[in-house]
Amino acid sequence: MKKASMKSSSLTGFRGVIILILLAGIAFGGCVLRIGYLTLIKGNEYKEKAEEQQLSVSTINASRGTIYDANMNVLAQSASVWLVYINPSKVTEKNRSDVISVLSDTLGVDAAQISRKIDENSDKGYLKIKGEVEYNEKKALSETVREKKLTNVIFIDPDTKRYYPNGSLASTILGFTGTDGNGLYGLENVYDDELTGTNGRIVTAKDGVQFELENAYEVTYEAEQGLSVVLTLNVEIQTILENALETALKETGAKNVYGIVMETKTGAILAVANLPDYDPNEPYDILYPQLTQYFAESGTDAQKADPVAAARIEQWKNKSVADFYYPGSVFKVFVVAGALEEGVITPETSYSCGGTITIGDRTIKDYNPVGHGAETPRTLLVNSCNTFAVYVGQKMGVDLYFKYFQAFGFSEKTGVDLAGESTPLVNVTYHDPAVSFSYSDLASASFGQSIAVTPLQIITGISAVGNGGKLMQPYIVSKLLDSQGNTVAVTSPIVKRQVVSESTASLVSSWMEDVVTEGTGKNAYVSGYHVAGKTGTSEKLGSADDTYIASIACFAPCDDPEVSVVIVIDEPQGANYSGGVIAAPVAGEVIEKTLNYLGVEPSYSDEEVSSMNVSMPEFVGKSVNEANSILEEYSYNVSIVGEGSTVVAQSPEPGRKTPVNGVLVLYTQQNAEKKTAVVPDFAGLTVSQAGRIAVSNNLNIKISGSASSESTVVAYKQDLPSGSEVEAGSVVTVSFRTTTGVHD
Amino acid sequence: MSENKLIKNIKSFFASGGIDVPFFAILMAIIVTGLVMLYSATYVYAYYYEDDSAYYFKRQIVWVALGIAVMLVISRINYKKLETLGALVGTGASWLLLGAALLMPEYHGTHRYIYIRPLHLQFQPSDVAKFAIILTLAAILDKCHSVVLSKKPLQNNIARKVNDVVGRPILNDSLKIIIPCGLIIMVYAGLVALGSHLSGTILMLAIGVILLYLGEVRGKWFAIGGVGGLSAIVLAYKLGFLKGYMEERIEAWVNKDFDPLGARWQVNQALYAIGSGGFFGKGLGQSTLKHLYVSEPQNDMIFSIVVEELGFVGATLILLLFALLIWRGVVIGINSPDRYGALVAMGVVFQLGVQVLLNILVATDSIPNTGISLPFFSYGGTAMVVTLAEMGFVLSISRTSKIRRKKQ
Repeated sequence: MKKASMKSSSLTGFRGVIILILLAGIAFGGCVLRIGYLTLIKGNEYKEKAEEQQLSVSTINASRGTIYDANMNVLAQSASVWLVYINPSKVTEKNRSDVISVLSDTLGVDAAQISRKIDENSDKGYLKIKGEVEYNEKKALSETVREKKLTNVIFIDPDTKRYYPNGSLASTILGFTGTDGNGLYGLENVYDDELTGTNGRIVTAKDGVQFELENAYEVTYEAEQGLSVVLTLNVEIQTILENALETALKETGAKNVYGIVMETKTGAILAVANLPDYDPNEPYDILYPQLTQYFAESGTDAQKADPVAAARIEQWKNKSVADFYYPGSVFKVFVVAGALEEGVITPETSYSCGGTITIGDRTIKDYNPVGHGAETPRTLLVNSCNTFAVYVGQKMGVDLYFKYFQAFGFSEKTGVDLAGESTPLVNVTYHDPAVSFSYSDLASASFGQSIAVTPLQIITGISAVGNGGKLMQPYIVSKLLDSQGNTVAVTSPIVKRQVVSESTASLVSSWMEDVVTEGTGKNAYVSGYHVAGKTGTSEKLGSADDTYIASIACFAPCDDPEVSVVIVIDEPQGANYSGGVIAAPVAGEVIEKTLNYLGVEPSYSDEEVSSMNVSMPEFVGKSVNEANSILEEYSYNVSIVGEGSTVVAQSPEPGRKTPVNGVLVLYTQQNAEKKTAVVPDFAGLTVSQAGRIAVSNNLNIKISGSASSESTVVAYKQDLPSGSEVEAGSVVTVSFRTTTGVHD
Repeated sequence: MSENKLIKNIKSFFASGGIDVPFFAILMAIIVTGLVMLYSATYVYAYYYEDDSAYYFKRQIVWVALGIAVMLVISRINYKKLETLGALVGTGASWLLLGAALLMPEYHGTHRYIYIRPLHLQFQPSDVAKFAIILTLAAILDKCHSVVLSKKPLQNNIARKVNDVVGRPILNDSLKIIIPCGLIIMVYAGLVALGSHLSGTILMLAIGVILLYLGEVRGKWFAIGGVGGLSAIVLAYKLGFLKGYMEERIEAWVNKDFDPLGARWQVNQALYAIGSGGFFGKGLGQSTLKHLYVSEPQNDMIFSIVVEELGFVGATLILLLFALLIWRGVVIGINSPDRYGALVAMGVVFQLGVQVLLNILVATDSIPNTGISLPFFSYGGTAMVVTLAEMGFVLSISRTSKIRRKKQ
């Protein structure tokens, strides 16, 4: 009663509150149910989604393996670099100046440029600032970024860059990698799987702006580093080959020059070069001066695009294995070897060369229109006689010819582990009697026309002759190493087959040595190294002008060959286009330097010893009297400059090889004025004339190339320019060759 | 004698009697929980953006201290003496402030703040307005209670005609109060709405409706008002007033795959956090979503971190605390010796309830993201001080409440 009266007296109508309380209760109850639904029923789903976004997976890049030469010199190597980019949409008024100053201070990028780029890309999520950032820069940057709390704006991603420390050296062999680090060309491509390795991962917890959470979950899956590749290729020999080819390219004005140096008995490739080539560090730049000039002059970028792309593919190509050419007379070696093996001819088989031979209605001429007269198989090679070769071929017939064509490996790939080896095609690169092989085709094929081969096939075949008839499978990778340097795989030489008997091979080899000592290969002669070789000059059919390919295939020393060399000069310009004139000297130079480098002991004939250069003794520090007594044993042309009693300087320096009757200048006073000499022009002089002129000009001569005293062997090149003033007693290297009797 | 009267007069300005201990205790429990959770939710965020993991916590403590001081002072004042003054000053001040906010340059895309940039100070006038509207409506509905209940027909030509047509005195004297009250509510809600503050607007309307209801306005007027309000919303939508900002939020609520890195980012992260909590939660301080995933964890989405750390159980207990506070506030109100006190006490706690409800509905993706803070949990000075001032009012009312007397 009391309660009711109180309520009615002061307050009325709060029964409605019950409804509000009820509504509130329902609403709160609804909230509780909703939270229960989200936590208990949808909980796992949301939890998974939350965890998914909280895990950060970062890749540990497996570093790409290194490519080494035979002496573990680095040919291709990957270095860790970093890529710096920003998220321009996260640049705010507040952090803008920090972002710009951090980037420009640590990376040295122009501040105004960054500022402009940020404005241009303000709605984008990605803006590359700098690639190939080195470790120190990257370290400094990441510290500052953390400090200034810019981790949601500035990002640093690991990246790698492939370095080729030797520039263009062996570039067509090595190839190069693409921007994502995979091998695009060459060995980089062939051994891509081995070199690549497997990327690892780090899985960590992260927060909403990509910081890693401290002390949080972290699992690391280590990267498996790529394997390293060790080549049989030797940087020293590669350099020798490339230098020699470079000179040949310039001198002959050829389109291309190729060369291969191979270990005769194993098939291991020591050097391969195709010039002009490129620098794998910048593979898209066209290096060949003639082309760069051409592209600089011609048309718009759009017009140039296709030719430039074609030129790039051309310069990347390893033409020594990819391009076919007519080997010409070089091929006679294989015809003769096969015919001997089969008994079609004997060493005594005689043939009378009248300069022409008629097969069916076709008359084949020799280079020498008069003919070589009476010949044996030995002189077939020495004179490079076409008519005799055709005769032997006809005697063999298409089946036997093809048997040896196949046996020497010309109808198949060599199986080399280099990139881009082309497959021989019947009716395109060769004739198969089972398909179509006429006797007229056979006539051409007997002297190396109408059949096409690669330089690598030729050197493999020629090496079989030098290697007692055993055909080897060429290879360039000697072993694979893991990241700790353990050997994972080793290549052992593979004998493909015995092509001809050892006796046939050694007979043909000795005839090939005669080719170099007295025949068309004279210009490849190297004293003491017994070079055996065969030159060739083939016509490029189907081209409008007379274009040729000059080549030589050889090995040395003849009776126990260390290296084989093939030199191919594609489209030489000018009157000298024959293999004996322009390819042979290159081969001689490569063989001489390579065997010297390999430490192969030369064995000289008596004649060679007599004309040989000797080491200059040391006179410095000795008294004039002592010097005179030593000099009694030599026949030097000595001049003494100065009044002193002790020798203080000499020219040439001790140990330098000079002719036994060379020039020697001894100085007995410090600061004495050097005696000088003017270099004469040796061009056109014979070996003995050049020697005399050198002495009379107070110079020593070093003879390069053929040292034969024949009157047709004349100087054509000298390393010190004529007319230049040099110190008396200096050594001038003069190259000799003959252009007579070396045409094939 | 006159001196005695003066003292008595002065004394009449102060409330006597004890405060309601259960209400105070529940309130303190909520404040302490709120502070702890604010620190837990914000230290990562505060460290990353402000270089000080206690940045928000330290400031909030200052505001809580200030707010409790204000609350205790107000609880000592005889609220009855503030009835007219509170209504006039409250409404005048809050309308001025809301208007001033509209004149300020845009801040975070809205006009809901007043800020003094050099002092780094900012506050939301709507925090003040939500209290002022209670004081104003409560005063009117108290003073004019008999008019509200009156069934006397209105004496003007139009009304007479309408009543004649209907055959009943449908338009009566109560409209003399209901219409001004409705207009006052519309002005409050309108000013807040012009500042693009949707949840503030909803809150104003809800408070208005609740107070009119508690003031015994008849049900039919709510029906008419509801129909009118709905048509107004539809009209506003058709005229394009709700375009852009609101449209995107509604789209983000309807389409759960909408703009996951933008409009739905905040809600998605809140759901992930709540879902990750499970039944018992990850434990205090163990949230992972607060590691810069949940954006502005000190504000509207703090409840999601609370659920992640304390789980379903913790969230339910916190809701229970709020429910108890509301319940106790209603009890204080019902037992108030006067209508004004009853209306204010209940208005305040129901307002608190609506705010808690809206916040949790947003955090659980049950309604579109309107942006409303969780009282005593979310970071914010004005809101904290004003809410505690409201609590002071309730405590003041509790001193004269009959709860205690009933027991005696």
